[in-house]
Amino acid sequence: MSIVKKPGAIANWYLPGIFAGMWFTLVTMIRNIFNQDKMITKNYPEDKYEYSPRFKGNHVLTVKKDGSLRCTACMLCATACPADCIKIKASEHENPAVEKYPISYEIDILRCVYCGYCEEACPVDAVRMGPEWQTPGLAGTNFSYDIQHLAYRAQLKGGVLSRVDDEERHKAGI
Amino acid sequence: MPKCKINGQEVEVEAGTTIIEAFKKLDSEIAHYCYHPGLSVAGVCRLCMVEIEGNPRLQIACNTVVQDGMVINNNSEKVKETVKWGLDFHLINHPLDCPICDQAGECELQIQYMKFGQYDPEMAEPKVKKNKVVDLGSKIVLDSERCILCSRCVRFTEEVSKTNELGIFNRGDRSEIGTFDGKPLENDYAVNTVDICPVGALTSKDFRFRQRVWYLKNKETVCPGCSTGCNVKSYYNEEGLFRVKPRQNDEVNGYWMCDKGRDTYKFVNKENRLLEPKVGQSGQWDSQEVDGVMSVMSTKIDDAVKSAGSDKVALVLTGQYTSEEYASMLSYFVGHLKSKNVYHWVNNPESFDEFDGLLLRGDRNPNTKGLLNGLDQHGITAPWSDLETKLNAGDIEVLLVAGPEDPSVFPTLTEKVSLFSKAKNLFWMSAAKTEAADSATTKTWQIPLKTYAEKEGTFVNHKGIEQKIQPMVNIVDCAQTLSEVASALSGQKVDHLGSLVKDRKTNHFINHHGGGL
Ligand code: SF4
Ligand code: SF4
Ligand code: SF4
Ligand code: SF4
Ligand code: FES
Repeated sequence: MSIVKKPGAIANWYLPGIFAGMWFTLVTMIRNIFNQDKMITKNYPEDKYEYSPRFKGNHVLTVKKDGSLRCTACMLCATACPADCIKIKASEHENPAVEKYPISYEIDILRCVYCGYCEEACPVDAVRMGPEWQTPGLAGTNFSYDIQHLAYRAQLKGGVLSRVDDEERHKAGI
Repeated sequence: MPKCKINGQEVEVEAGTTIIEAFKKLDSEIAHYCYHPGLSVAGVCRLCMVEIEGNPRLQIACNTVVQDGMVINNNSEKVKETVKWGLDFHLINHPLDCPICDQAGECELQIQYMKFGQYDPEMAEPKVKKNKVVDLGSKIVLDSERCILCSRCVRFTEEVSKTNELGIFNRGDRSEIGTFDGKPLENDYAVNTVDICPVGALTSKDFRFRQRVWYLKNKETVCPGCSTGCNVKSYYNEEGLFRVKPRQNDEVNGYWMCDKGRDTYKFVNKENRLLEPKVGQSGQWDSQEVDGVMSVMSTKIDDAVKSAGSDKVALVLTGQYTSEEYASMLSYFVGHLKSKNVYHWVNNPESFDEFDGLLLRGDRNPNTKGLLNGLDQHGITAPWSDLETKLNAGDIEVLLVAGPEDPSVFPTLTEKVSLFSKAKNLFWMSAAKTEAADSATTKTWQIPLKTYAEKEGTFVNHKGIEQKIQPMVNIVDCAQTLSEVASALSGQKVDHLGSLVKDRKTNHFINHHGGGL
């Protein structure tokens, strides 16, 4: 038995407790009706909660200054991923300064466990987990996110700039 | 024979042995870049430092000969410090672009650095920039920044291929590997330089960026490219084979293999394979089940033998199969059918006996010797011209052909198929999907066979050395071996699914991260 009943007659006096609870509910309700902007609950989905930018939500592939993908197709994220849900195909870039780049990069988001290992493994800040946390979709939605979605979806407003810039590193003599 | 002590272990070696060879003999680890057992000693990387008792300074192990009574170690603090700072020098101008470097995962520089590393380099000067992604011809790409100037590749072209394309140009920290006047590095052994390059300075165009090496497993096998039978390692994953590298066998190939042999993984992969049995002729084909085709084959043979004698049935063999397969096919023909109508199809009679002086032979089959041995044992001597005469006279009812596994070494495939089309029924067994076979003009059944990567068996090389191959992947599930065909024909019921279950673990690749290197 997990509920321990207190002995004695006083335990039968539950009504005051009930009324105290009802009173609290009533007061809160009235306060919410006249003070809607301070209400704690949100009217989801019309009204969404913004998580901090550090929240590990949906993946973003960052871009370079010229808008091309930062990813070098090193496959360290795919290697680190415990859910085995990142698939990358690498190819030779025509610009020898870039050399290797992904021709396809897919994350099977339904298999992802949002552990963030991919973000940590990436040597060039090419994959990040952003504050978006919703992945709803109707039947037939493609949950295998491709480069187009990961780097250039409308919510990212033209792409997120990577912090690691090769040109600057070259100038610094690294 | 001088005796010495290495890290406390006593070892006796031949006179003239260097210390590094004595280390190898003991299987004791020693860092090194420029030393390669198949090349001369250069002594330039200064990584193989050892401490010899009574000697105030450290010596390099690759160029110091063992003397009687030497007491040597490479695990003292002094040695470790020296190697560490030696590595720091190697890394002064190294770009450390491991993420885009194909060697990552099997790079000596990575391995040693992880072991001895001094993780924060002391050098404050900017790195010297050199040429990257230099095209060295059709097979190799050079990245001068990654090169540690060990000169292995230069010594290879000097001493082994004897083509002298590569050299070290400029001086000091501007030194670079290159070819004179930008000439391409095109010789039949060029890709060996990629194997011996301890870093990712030389990479193979064929393999570049196709896989990370840690995703691949490997198994030891024999190159099926020619009758030399070089000992190799094949690298594969669940999709198929990706590359082939040589392994040491002093009797056969030393440390090397030819570049043609490196292409022998391609015909194994799905896009070049016959994926299911089919029946038809002249470009019109219907797919079939294996069991159905097998029973058709055995009925056709039985009918032909009953109505007109076993002379009406013939078998053509190429040197591309294992000795075990020949044995079972021949004993079916000679023992069961009482027929000696077996013919050896020589793919390129004009250049069959050529030899390039190093490894590659004109006989581009792995097991011609095995086939000849089998034919000898059964006293089969019929020359090829007999078959041609019989076919031209319309004397063959049923012709079984164990065709090419690698069609690229059969220059006269189309002519041969039109010759075979003169038989009334043609059973074409081959691993490869070829236009030539699809153009057969008589009633033909095509049966997919297994390649060398999917079966076990023996290849006998040109010297008569027997070497084993082993299965690594299953690319075409319904493919058969000639032994399976022979036992199906001789009435033994083989359940081809049963044999698959026996040989194959279905959850083989669930943990594909664990490729042994
Ligand atoms: S968050 Fe974890 S599970 Fe998801 S893709 Fe990254 S590494 Fe894989
Ligand atoms: S996202 Fe980062 S870790 Fe993943 S392949 Fe691209 S560069 Fe490598
Ligand atoms: S390219 Fe490779 S093998 Fe040749 S010198 Fe440089 S590091 Fe050595
Ligand atoms: S010499 Fe022959 S056996 Fe050796 S790698 Fe070349 S083709 Fe293969
Ligand atoms: S291995 Fe001895 S100096 Fe390079």
